[in-house]
Amino acid sequence: MLKIKVKKGHNINIAGVASREISAPQKNDSVSLSPENFRYIKPKLLVKENDVVKLGDPIFFDKLCPEVKWPAIASGKISKIVYGERRSIKEIIFSVDTSLESEHSSSQQKKISNRDDVVNYLLEKNMWPFITQRPFNKVANPSDNPKSIIVSLANTAPLSVDYNFTLLSNKDTIVSALANLKKLTEGKLFVAVNPGEFDYLSDLDFVDVIQVEGPHPAGNVGVVLNHISPINSKDVVWTVQGHHLPILGKLFSDGVFDPCITINLSGPAVNDPSYFKSRIGASLESYCKGNVSSDQVRIISGDVLTGKQSSIDGYLGFYHSSISVIEESFDRSFIGWFHPGGSSRYSVFNAYLGSNKSPYKFTTLQNGSHRAFVPIGAWEKVFPMNIYINALLRSIEANDFEEMEQLGIYECDEEDVALCSFVCPSKTDVGGIIRKGLDTIYFDK
Amino acid sequence: MNFLKKILTKSGKFFEEGKPLSWAFPIWEATDTIFFSTEKQTDSGPHIRDNMDIKRTMFFVVIALIPCYLFGAYNIGYLHSAATGVSSSVVSDFILGMSYVTPILITTFVAGAICELSFAVIRKHEVNEGFLVTCALIPLTMPPDIPLWQLFIGTCFGIIIGKEIFGGVGTNVFNPALTARAFMYFAFPTKISGDKVWAVGPDGYSGATALSIPANPVEYDTATNLFSQATQFDFSTSNLFWGLIPGSIGETNKLLILLGAIFLIYCGIASWRIMVSSVLGLVMTAGLFNLLADHSTNAMLTITPLQHILIGSFLFGTVFMASEPVTSTHTNKGRWIYGFMIGALTVIIRSVNPAYPEGVMLAILIMNMFAPLIDYYIVKSNINMRLSRNA
Repeated sequence: MLKIKVKKGHNINIAGVASREISAPQKNDSVSLSPENFRYIKPKLLVKENDVVKLGDPIFFDKLCPEVKWPAIASGKISKIVYGERRSIKEIIFSVDTSLESEHSSSQQKKISNRDDVVNYLLEKNMWPFITQRPFNKVANPSDNPKSIIVSLANTAPLSVDYNFTLLSNKDTIVSALANLKKLTEGKLFVAVNPGEFDYLSDLDFVDVIQVEGPHPAGNVGVVLNHISPINSKDVVWTVQGHHLPILGKLFSDGVFDPCITINLSGPAVNDPSYFKSRIGASLESYCKGNVSSDQVRIISGDVLTGKQSSIDGYLGFYHSSISVIEESFDRSFIGWFHPGGSSRYSVFNAYLGSNKSPYKFTTLQNGSHRAFVPIGAWEKVFPMNIYINALLRSIEANDFEEMEQLGIYECDEEDVALCSFVCPSKTDVGGIIRKGLDTIYFDK
Repeated sequence: MNFLKKILTKSGKFFEEGKPLSWAFPIWEATDTIFFSTEKQTDSGPHIRDNMDIKRTMFFVVIALIPCYLFGAYNIGYLHSAATGVSSSVVSDFILGMSYVTPILITTFVAGAICELSFAVIRKHEVNEGFLVTCALIPLTMPPDIPLWQLFIGTCFGIIIGKEIFGGVGTNVFNPALTARAFMYFAFPTKISGDKVWAVGPDGYSGATALSIPANPVEYDTATNLFSQATQFDFSTSNLFWGLIPGSIGETNKLLILLGAIFLIYCGIASWRIMVSSVLGLVMTAGLFNLLADHSTNAMLTITPLQHILIGSFLFGTVFMASEPVTSTHTNKGRWIYGFMIGALTVIIRSVNPAYPEGVMLAILIMNMFAPLIDYYIVKSNINMRLSRNA
């Protein structure tokens, strides 16, 4: 077992951590699959409104890579297809029919022995989108040959689900998923875990367990890879979300697509933050209604650093496993820059007296206006990768492709630099700039 | 408060896009957010943000400078009483000093605000609070009776040539406060160099600074002996530290500068690497010169490392000017080299050139120029590491 100790970073002491208990199940009458959750695809629908589909049926495919199809994440009627500008597909909403869902029988199991078997099986079952790749953080291309595969079971992001709690009873399915994922690569299969968790993984000879210690973003796959096996310019590394392992495991062992995941509802504006048994793309309304502290809240699908702003009518993103809620504040404090500190302020700098002591109720306030960037070393405090982030950002702004590659843009993703934006006194959107760089490179290729 | 908030919010409408005053939006935005923190919401990216912003960052640097102002004012009065021989109280010394410092301060801030605001309007960039730090630094590097018109021109030069023509805060090469000082040093040398300007006294009063004593000795001796022989001022090591000596307004009391350094390092605003390495560079170069001193008649070579630290404005320059984040190196490794070179160059300029007894200003400006080059090679080594991995 390899051990990594990450020193730079910061665990944000945010209020509203979900208590470790599973609350009463909520109704999931409708779920949504949004093509917008997947980067760089050109979706083409295979169904129409009011079609009745079964779990796992193909719903749309990517015109750029037609063998990759997306599965129905529920059995039932497709109640609505929401279009955006220029008829882009924003959302495909299913009304869940539980009686139809319980009908499915396990299909005849094929023998899966090598890489091609696994790829074909996942494509045939329309389950390929669960596999994403670095760089670019997009759905993997089945014809690529990944250098390695990495799964992080150490979720260090603020308010994210604790896999050691939600995946506790899924040992068999996780092992089955990992065993089959290993077949996809000639390289190693890395699994990042927190110290003392998922002990059984170290007994598996096909898994390279990486024990990560330290503050966020220590558990991010990008950060772990940067420490053990950095992504070079032509490398592709595949990854799977930790909470998707049981889904893949069940698929491999029983041939059944079970879209259930355990999610958490947390954040300073949640009355009773806790865990729920839920499913992919669940409607946020049933979880948030009556459980948020005021009307003026921002509901986020995902965590507070990298999640996507949604609303009470919104749905959980395909890869997300948490709902975070923070209050929308428009409070303007008098000469705020002069404030002495106390519990009403939070900063990674020692800039306020007695701040950061108790869990802090973050709001949507940006806490300062945007200014020209002054490099006081804030980003470097929370960025544990061997990359000169400041130089990288400048090369992106200068549109210098070669230098972006040389400075390691392939190794990072928005989530790895989210804390840089969080701490930046100039309120620079570091993640946005990294994304811009990745996009320019992707579309240039 | 609500009344003020209402006025500001209402007046804001005139500055919106398409309204007659939209050109002045940066000025309104800066004023508005001085009184009430912005209500701007996070859009994409992290939905939550740290409470630290540039306003507070810059404000903290200004706080760190306030003790230097207070002591500087007192020191002007103290030296004046010493020169005239009239005994006076601490309070009256301080008030006399403030009568010198206040006009200097006002002139600098007026000049700075005019430049920064007009460039914000013309170039359509935000008003960066960094100019407050620049304007707070310039008076501290001035002799007490600098003519105000010279100061006004110098400040404008520093902000425009040192900063704005490069694109404003964040993209400037030279420290604007030092650019201002260097400009004045070369443009108006009689008022900012020599023996006559560093202490206020009766007409024709002259007071040599500690640096000029070993620089122009009557007869060769070691610096330590020369200092102890000086009769006009007390140049003992302890008084050099406490700072009741002639010099620029803010640089004489070393304790207050060190407290400022500790404060800025604790808050995470200034780089301790630059400060430590420049002291290291100074100590090592001065030590080397001490070894060579026997072979020379240059008394400057005999100044001990400790004396080098205490005389002149080395500490002030290191803590408040060299560590300025934009114009210093941006990589941690680079900061070590950059600081070390500032320390070394300070001693070299002080000791082995006959023209300028004080070297820290030029040392920092020279290293400002080299900072991008240092960073270039450090970043290059990271690139090479990555290229070799690809190969």
